[in-house]
Amino acid sequence: MGAAAAGTAGTTALADAIARVEGRFGTHVLAHGAATERRATERHIQTDSSLDALAPGLSSGAPIAFIGTGSTGKVALAHRAAAGAQRDGGTVLWVDPTATFDPLLAARSGVDLSRLIVVRAKTRDAVLLAAGAALRSDGFRLAVVDTGPQLAPGSTIARIDDLAPLLPIVRSSPAALLVISDTRPMRLAIPTFTVARLAWRARFGRTAGWTSLVAARALFHFAALGTESHDLGMQSALLERTG
Amino acid sequence: MKSYLAIAVPERAPRARILATLAAMLPRVGVADDGAFVCDLRGTERLLGTPIRVARNAVSACGASGGALISGGLGTTPFVARVAASRSVTGTVREIAAGDERAFLDPLPLDVLPLDPKVIEELSLLGVRRIGEFLALPRGSVSDRFGHAVAIAYALATGERVEDVAITTPRRRIRAKRTWDDPVDSRERLIFALRAAADELAEALRHDGLAALRIQLVLEREELLPLRLERSLLPPSAESAAIVRSLRWGLEEITTLGLVTSATLEITAVEPARGRQIGLFAPDGAHAEEAIAVAQFLRTKLGPATVLQPRVVDAEARLPERAAEWEEVVR
Repeated sequence: MGAAAAGTAGTTALADAIARVEGRFGTHVLAHGAATERRATERHIQTDSSLDALAPGLSSGAPIAFIGTGSTGKVALAHRAAAGAQRDGGTVLWVDPTATFDPLLAARSGVDLSRLIVVRAKTRDAVLLAAGAALRSDGFRLAVVDTGPQLAPGSTIARIDDLAPLLPIVRSSPAALLVISDTRPMRLAIPTFTVARLAWRARFGRTAGWTSLVAARALFHFAALGTESHDLGMQSALLERTG
Repeated sequence: MKSYLAIAVPERAPRARILATLAAMLPRVGVADDGAFVCDLRGTERLLGTPIRVARNAVSACGASGGALISGGLGTTPFVARVAASRSVTGTVREIAAGDERAFLDPLPLDVLPLDPKVIEELSLLGVRRIGEFLALPRGSVSDRFGHAVAIAYALATGERVEDVAITTPRRRIRAKRTWDDPVDSRERLIFALRAAADELAEALRHDGLAALRIQLVLEREELLPLRLERSLLPPSAESAAIVRSLRWGLEEITTLGLVTSATLEITAVEPARGRQIGLFAPDGAHAEEAIAVAQFLRTKLGPATVLQPRVVDAEARLPERAAEWEEVVR
C-alpha cells in the first residue's frame, strides 16, 4: 500500500516536472531517447546548396532567420529552403502579410506550388495564429514568415521581434520556422543568417544581378528580376581555388 | 419460416441497454416506429440455432439487462412479429407460424394497424372494426377511398409488404474523466494531463475501428461555471495527437481558464476509420490532409481570400500579374 502510494506520488511529481518543462519550453521538448535519435536523422532539411554547410542548418524544431536589406536574395534563398522541405513530399506554409509572394519566381526556384499554402495574414496576431497552427500540426515541414519590407513604423504588420511566441512552439514542432526580415531582431534570440550584398553586376550599362554573402561564408549570385540564382560555393573554398 | 423477432418494451425500460444487449447477440437489430425492437433472423439458424431458441435467449438476456416487462414475438414479417410481441405474456415469446398470420390477425381490432384514428372511426361507421373485416374489403376500393397510407396498412396486414429492418447501432460512450485534488491552474499543465485521457480514447477508437469526428471537453472549475468545449476533428482521426492538438487550439481561445478540478473528455461523434492514401515515394505525403485541416482552421479564423494556393497559368505572360492565379485552399 505504502509502496504503491509512493509510486503514485513519484509519478505525479514527474508529471508535474515534465509539465513545468513543457510549459516553459514547449510540448514534446522532452522525448524518449529512441524517438529523439530517430528524429535527428529525419529533421534536417537539405537544400543541395551551400546553405547546408552553414551552422545551424535548417531543421525541424528549430527557428532560423534570413536577415538582410532589400534586394540581397533572402526570398530566393527561402525558395530554395521551401523546395528542399518539399523534396520528401512535405508541405510548406508561407505567411505573407505584405502580399509580396511571387508564384512565378517560386516555381522557377523549384518550389512545388501544389504543396505550398500562402496565408495573407494581415496583422501581427494573424501571423502568430497562422504560423503557430502550422508549427503545431504535423502537416508541414517548413513554415516561412516573410515580414516584408518594414516601410511603415507604426503598422500592425508583424516585425521579427513580434514572433517571440513562436519560439517555444517551434521547438516542439516537426516543422522548421524560417523568418525573413529586413531588420535584425532587437529582443529575440534567434539563429540568424545575415545576407549581405557584396557587389552589383552590370551588363551593357544595366544592373544584371548581384552577389551576396550568406552568414559571412556562402556566396550566391542572383540575377536581376529574380530569374535565377546560382550557388557559388563557400567563400573559403573559392578563395583557395583562386589563390 | 419465422424470420423476424420483435421485442416489445415498456416505456420506462432501459432501452439503450436492451439495444446494446440485442446488438451484441444478433446481427441485424432495428427499432420500429412503435418503439419495439425488431431483429432480422434470416440466415442465422445454422449459426445461432432455431429462431424460437434465439428468441427465448434474447428475451431472457433483455430481462437480465433490466427490461423486466418485456415480451417477444416471432413471425414471418416484422409487423406480425411486433403484434405478436405486444400480445404475448411478459417474459415469453409468442410464435406465429407461417400460414397462421391471418388467423392471428383477423380477430384483432383495427388500432393494431398503423391507421389514423379518423380512418378507424370512419371504418367503424361502415361496420369494419376488426382486421379480418378490413382485409375482406377489396384492395382497390381501400386504396381509392382511403388513400395510400391505408393501402400500406392493408398490405402490411396481408403480408404483401415487409418492413425493412433499419439497423440501429447502440450509441457507445467513449469518454475519459480525470479529477485532481490540486486544481490545475495552467493551460500547459491541463493539456499535459489531458494527454493520458486522449490516449485512452484513442485506444478505444482504434479497438472499434473508429475515428473521432467531434469531441467534447467539460471542465469543472473552482468558483467558476463549468466550461464546455466542443471541437470537430478534420479530418476525423483516431490519433491521440490529433485530439490533443484540437483541444489545445480550443483551450488557447479561452482567456480565463480558472482552477480546473476535473475534466471529462468524450467522443460525441464518430465515423469508421479510413485508411490514408500515402504517396509511395513521398513519405511526408501522409500529412497532406493535416495541412488541409490547418488550412481549414485558418480559413475559419482569418476569413476568405486569406489562405491561398498560387498556380502559374502563363509563365511567359507580359504582365507579371497575369502569370499566376490564386485559389482558395478551402472553399
